[in-house]
Amino acid sequence: MHMGISIVTKGAVASAAIVLGLAGCASTPIPNEKLAVAKASVQRAEQSGAPEFAPVEMAAARDKLARAEKAAAARETVPATLLAEQANVDARLAEATAQQQRSRKAATEFDASMQALRSESMRSTQSTQ
Amino acid sequence: MNAKLLTGMGLTLALCACATAPQPNAALQSAHVAVQTAEMDPNVGKYAALDLEAAKKDLAIADEAALHHRDAAIAQPAYMAAQNARLAQMHATAKADDARVAAGQAQRDQIMLASRNAEVQNAKMATSAALGQRDQANEAAARLQAEVDQLKATPTPRGLVLTLGDVLFDTGRAELNPGAGRKLDQLAQFLGEHKDRRVQIDGFTDSVGTDSYNEDLSHRRANAVKSALMVRGVDASRIGTEGYGKAYPVANNNDSGGRQLNRRVEVVIGPDNGTPIAPRG
Repeated sequence: MHMGISIVTKGAVASAAIVLGLAGCASTPIPNEKLAVAKASVQRAEQSGAPEFAPVEMAAARDKLARAEKAAAARETVPATLLAEQANVDARLAEATAQQQRSRKAATEFDASMQALRSESMRSTQSTQ
Repeated sequence: MNAKLLTGMGLTLALCACATAPQPNAALQSAHVAVQTAEMDPNVGKYAALDLEAAKKDLAIADEAALHHRDAAIAQPAYMAAQNARLAQMHATAKADDARVAAGQAQRDQIMLASRNAEVQNAKMATSAALGQRDQANEAAARLQAEVDQLKATPTPRGLVLTLGDVLFDTGRAELNPGAGRKLDQLAQFLGEHKDRRVQIDGFTDSVGTDSYNEDLSHRRANAVKSALMVRGVDASRIGTEGYGKAYPVANNNDSGGRQLNRRVEVVIGPDNGTPIAPRG
């Protein structure tokens, strides 16, 4: 939860910087490739359980991707680039967080099954003796 | 690495202090913290070195921008650095857990194999124990059958019935012939080996003579057998006697052969749980 809040805060800080400092460099080309990469990352995160396991990161990625696409449509290429980069890294973090939680869950379950197995095997070994 | 980092931060702060508006960049500071935290995680170095490299590259760009007071160019690389540092930690933690589970699988397989072997061993032991019991039971049954065969006893609903024929007694007498001894020895030995079984001795006569005489004779013959068994070590409490006179003939009383078959003593051997034997009828 702490991480989620700090991401939102930093996201806001970064976005503010984008809007204030970098908007208006019209000579930069539309970052179609970065938008495509960000979109693919968001889709992969959506399908990897991130909406369930990392809802904050997932929401940030979706929001930034939408804003990046909107900026690109308005030919605001610099904010579109920066937002696409952020959407990409947020989506990857969401996916990694989901993966981390799945792995942790699997490891915890594995530990429990090992514990059960150990005590069971101890019992069956004892009954042999 | 930490010393270098602190130097970098110190440099940044010092340079900021020289500037007209000294504002430490919050995004840059939190990026430094995130990268430093990731660096201290041993799993990151082991499993997510590339993610950490990317984070450090972003952080260097942000530091460079801060160094040259390009404040507007700090936030994006700082944000990317922080997120990549977190990404490194997530990847590293997941991979560390996965590796631990993978390593544990082999151990688990081993335990399961050992456990299954123990189960097989237990099952084998249980089977051989059961077989042993069955062998013992079979042996006991076979022994009993051999003994019953030797006594020439016949299984009936009341129990095993052993018929001692008239030839064991003199006509009209209740004393046993010496020839009865061998049969009674076998019966006494059987009862000695099966102390949980009771025995019922029933006497019968042919139809010749008065009812009271025949009844008395049948009683006396049953008691003679009882005495003979007691002499051979069978406790009196296990032996019941009854005289039925001419009742329950087993053959025709119209000829001498049939009458001889009717003059008899029947010994009923009870079940092995000590249950008393029901009276004839």
